[in-house]
Amino acid sequence: MGSSALVLFFIVGVFFIVIATSIAALFAPRSSNPQKLDPWECGIKPSGNAWIQFKIGYYLFAIIYLIFDVEVVFLVPWAVVMKKMGTVAFVEALIFLVILGIGLLYAWNKKALKWE
Amino acid sequence: MDLSNFFSIMRGEIVLAAIILILLLAEIATKDKKKIVDLAIGLFLIHTIFGFFGVGEGVLFGGMFKASPIVNLFKNILNVGVLIILFQSASWVKGKLEEHNRVSEFYILLFASLLGMYYMISAGDFLMFYIGIEMASLPVAGLAAFDIYQKRSAEAALKYIFLAAITSGISLLGISFLYSASGTIFFDELKPFMTNDSLITLGFLFFLVGLLFKISIVPFHLWTADVYEGAPIGVTSYLSVISKGAAAFILIIILFTMAKPIMELWREVIYMLSILTMFIGNIFALRQKNMKRFLAFSSIAQAGFIILGMLSGTQLGMSAVVFFIATYIFSNLGAFGVVYAIANQSGKENMDDYNGFYRTNPLLSVLMMLALFSLAGIPPVAGFFGKFFLFMSAASAGYYWLILFAVINVTISLYYYLLVVRAMFVRQNDNPIPAFKSDVYMKIGLILPAIGIFVLGLYSPIYEHINELVGMFLK
Amino acid sequence: MGAQIMFYILATVIVVFSFLAVTSRKVMRATVYLLFVLLATAGLYFIIDYNFMAGIQLIVYAGGIVALIVFAVMLTEKIGDKIESPSNMQMILAGLISIAGAGVTISVLLGHDFKQSTQNIGQNVATIGENLLNYGKDGYVLPFEVVSILLLASMIAAIVVAKRKFEN
Repeated sequence: MGSSALVLFFIVGVFFIVIATSIAALFAPRSSNPQKLDPWECGIKPSGNAWIQFKIGYYLFAIIYLIFDVEVVFLVPWAVVMKKMGTVAFVEALIFLVILGIGLLYAWNKKALKWE
Repeated sequence: MDLSNFFSIMRGEIVLAAIILILLLAEIATKDKKKIVDLAIGLFLIHTIFGFFGVGEGVLFGGMFKASPIVNLFKNILNVGVLIILFQSASWVKGKLEEHNRVSEFYILLFASLLGMYYMISAGDFLMFYIGIEMASLPVAGLAAFDIYQKRSAEAALKYIFLAAITSGISLLGISFLYSASGTIFFDELKPFMTNDSLITLGFLFFLVGLLFKISIVPFHLWTADVYEGAPIGVTSYLSVISKGAAAFILIIILFTMAKPIMELWREVIYMLSILTMFIGNIFALRQKNMKRFLAFSSIAQAGFIILGMLSGTQLGMSAVVFFIATYIFSNLGAFGVVYAIANQSGKENMDDYNGFYRTNPLLSVLMMLALFSLAGIPPVAGFFGKFFLFMSAASAGYYWLILFAVINVTISLYYYLLVVRAMFVRQNDNPIPAFKSDVYMKIGLILPAIGIFVLGLYSPIYEHINELVGMFLK
Repeated sequence: MGAQIMFYILATVIVVFSFLAVTSRKVMRATVYLLFVLLATAGLYFIIDYNFMAGIQLIVYAGGIVALIVFAVMLTEKIGDKIESPSNMQMILAGLISIAGAGVTISVLLGHDFKQSTQNIGQNVATIGENLLNYGKDGYVLPFEVVSILLLASMIAAIVVAKRKFEN
């Protein structure tokens, strides 16, 4: 059965990672100094936390992306059976697409797609 | 599928969806945004009027969408309520134009939410119900945050969306329990499975949570006051009458059809919640100084009365609830309209600011008094008959103790409604709110609820009409 | 047998990471824990051969929604700070209520005699597509169209909330 293969794959995967890292940890030669931990060897020293406040623009893009992501989910099954079902399926998806297309136009018009 | 049949049964939904798209296109195409206000109100007025004529009845899409005369009546009641809100909020929306340049969004979101309610009320299965309830609540969160520069408006939106998400998640879990016990999501097919089985019971109780949250029944009422206070007044009145009314409509449809076999179970739940809701809503309302919070708690108490009428499970009970919701919509919109007009002109929302209001603005004061009397249930205005029919239906099922509690609550509520009336008519104030004139839209928005309060109270064929439609539905 | 072992592994992952997600006091970490929960859920769908649903779970939830949550978290002012832990009283009460709720639900679920469904519910994409576009009994074209308006409304609501000032 497919699931047995999945279990096997899982075990082998875990096994390999554990083996590989533990071998490296056991046998690799080690040397350490503070400079090794810097992101850049030259240039300005990084300061502060990497988790900083983002602009709201990212959020807007993400949510518009998400909405069209969901749209794609509905369009995949449609695309598979479109040829078989013919005009009805075409018209149904056309309504769906036009409604969301107007939404995209709106977002565009409101300059929600523009980076400020 | 017959296309003409389709257009006749689902006309309201199609027209409303078309209005949304027209407004969206108008927003994209035009620079003159002030016209959109008139366009939106005009289109919705036409939609409301035509809603009363010739919408068909029947079942579409294999039972997912159901329209019957009583469901069409529900939609018409909601339409009238939304129309009044549109009139009342017109000048506020126009004011937002200069500030934020956002006008059409208000209407688009409002109509999208209303469309969700249509589908929720007409749903024949849990899928449409769930999409409807989500569509009814998501845009409202955007509306609650419409005053984007005010922190409390954003806070209101956040509180609403979080709690709505949690409760609708619990509701969805309940639906999945019902599905796993029966293998169907259609209300009609589910009915034979509704027994005292523990999984069905638990699933049904979980499912109720989502609706009880919308009606703000007591364990799920905590969001009400904060959201009502923070949101713009138009949105607050939408939440307190339209959202609540729609949820109560679908609750009564589900309780009286699908859940009829387990009536003994939900009766006990509703009985306890009704008493709790009335008492807690009223006791907290006593202490409020802000008018929006005050009306929020009074609307919680009213919700207790709404579910009280469902207890009998008979035709009388359902007609009483429908009639009560109609009177409640008009009365509450009347009260909110006056609060709205005052806040628009002076920015004042506290009860103390209303002292001496009768001297300067007698007409508004009288309307406020009417609306509050109707909410309290004083004859001969509509609210009295609404409460009277509710108590009759509860009495017919033998709930005498409950009626005693309800009467105690009516007395408490009368006291605090009279506090406002006393502030306006009796109390003196050195610098009362000065006399002002509202614009045409606001005037219409204030006259309509006044007419509604009188007509529903004095013209009895309306109740008989409702009773007849309910009788047809329950057969 | 293999499916059962896999199920228990995934279920453990889901339970452990859900618990971590709600108890972690750094928001960003909680988000990453949530990602693992969603991925493991996709694994459950793979076990029952429901590949389309698993794909959706990966694309929409693990891909889209987690990205959105990450951006939303990055909007907050003090991402790195620990969230204040609730008082002991709150913890105890919330814990008791959660245990009681979980206990009731689990006992009801275990006590119920579930029946194997006889309906042939299509799992491949073509069957899903046919059902989605069908307008008769067992057709889902109405929700399909209504969802488009729901998506439209949520997009507009998001723009209204996120965009401070509209220019013309």
